[in-house]
Amino acid sequence: MKSAALQSSVINDLVLLSCVGLRPVLVHGGGPEINSWLLRLGHEPQFHNGLRVTDALTMEVVEMVLVGKVNKSLVSLINSAGGTAVGLCGKDARLLTARPTPDAAALGFVGEVARVDPGILRPILADGHIPVIASVAADENGQSYNVNADTAAGEIAAAMGAEKLILLTDVAGILEDRNDPDSLVKEIDISGIRKMVMEKKVAGGMIPKVNCCVRSLAQGVRTASIIDGRVPHSLLLEILTDEGAGTMITG
Amino acid sequence: MGIRGVTVSDVRGFGAQGGSTERHGGSEFSEDKFIAKVKMEIVVCKDQVEAVVEKIIEEARTGEIGDGKIFLIPVSDVIRVRTGERGEKAERMSGGRADMMSLTASID
Repeated sequence: MKSAALQSSVINDLVLLSCVGLRPVLVHGGGPEINSWLLRLGHEPQFHNGLRVTDALTMEVVEMVLVGKVNKSLVSLINSAGGTAVGLCGKDARLLTARPTPDAAALGFVGEVARVDPGILRPILADGHIPVIASVAADENGQSYNVNADTAAGEIAAAMGAEKLILLTDVAGILEDRNDPDSLVKEIDISGIRKMVMEKKVAGGMIPKVNCCVRSLAQGVRTASIIDGRVPHSLLLEILTDEGAGTMITG
Repeated sequence: MGIRGVTVSDVRGFGAQGGSTERHGGSEFSEDKFIAKVKMEIVVCKDQVEAVVEKIIEEARTGEIGDGKIFLIPVSDVIRVRTGERGEKAERMSGGRADMMSLTASID
């Protein structure tokens, strides 16, 4: 999330939702910040098929930036907005256990989610606090892994039996016709979206997001939405109105 | 579509997936681990079978490992305990396909 004003607006919405009784869980990544710090250390950020190539040094930087900087800054924003946040990463209370992706030779320490233990989130939510989770996890032996934030969010949603999974992106959602911004697909089911992917109507960076949503829905999450984070109050629009602010995929 | 009854049980199961894992509740489970599943048993007339199978697949398919299987089993008889009816009369349920069909037939 690039602009501070937008970040602030999303945080305010999150705190509002928490105040009215919803129990939101925020999962975050932080690509731009990671890139910026890697460059400061003279290390060029590298990507392979859209995923960050994470060697040992990059992993250290990812962990420091996501857990130490981005996470705490979000926690601080939530606290300032009137909520109370608790910042965690996948390692805390073994919330997420990672394993290397099949592509580990090319990607290094990029992790898949092997196991989720949502136990720690229940007391936090029960006390009315908002958990903020950085998508860094460890494997059985304590080796750190960089996990994709959308994937982490999807699996945590599945583990908690969440009502909704919401992916905040910087596009309007899924378009029926890529060249027509008015052709936003508002609601679609799993077979419909799989058909769209086969018909190549969904492309590029949207495919992993769609797969993440389907995986989550298949495990019992009621709905998964991909919404436009650039629209002010998109979170409120999606959760509290019928029109929503992006594309909702139903199970 | 005229199906008026079903039995649902909470069971545990696993199925060999050729090495892939199944995801349940956010975690991965290898082939030999029991996972909570739902079993449905529906008894219908032979001529309804294909429609029911298609409907189940349409609604339940996610494309992920763990979607499950449908086993078609012949039933030698159906007996209603309350009245002792057997066969087609016992299989029939009120508001079911037979009633739906006779309703449409009478609207001419």
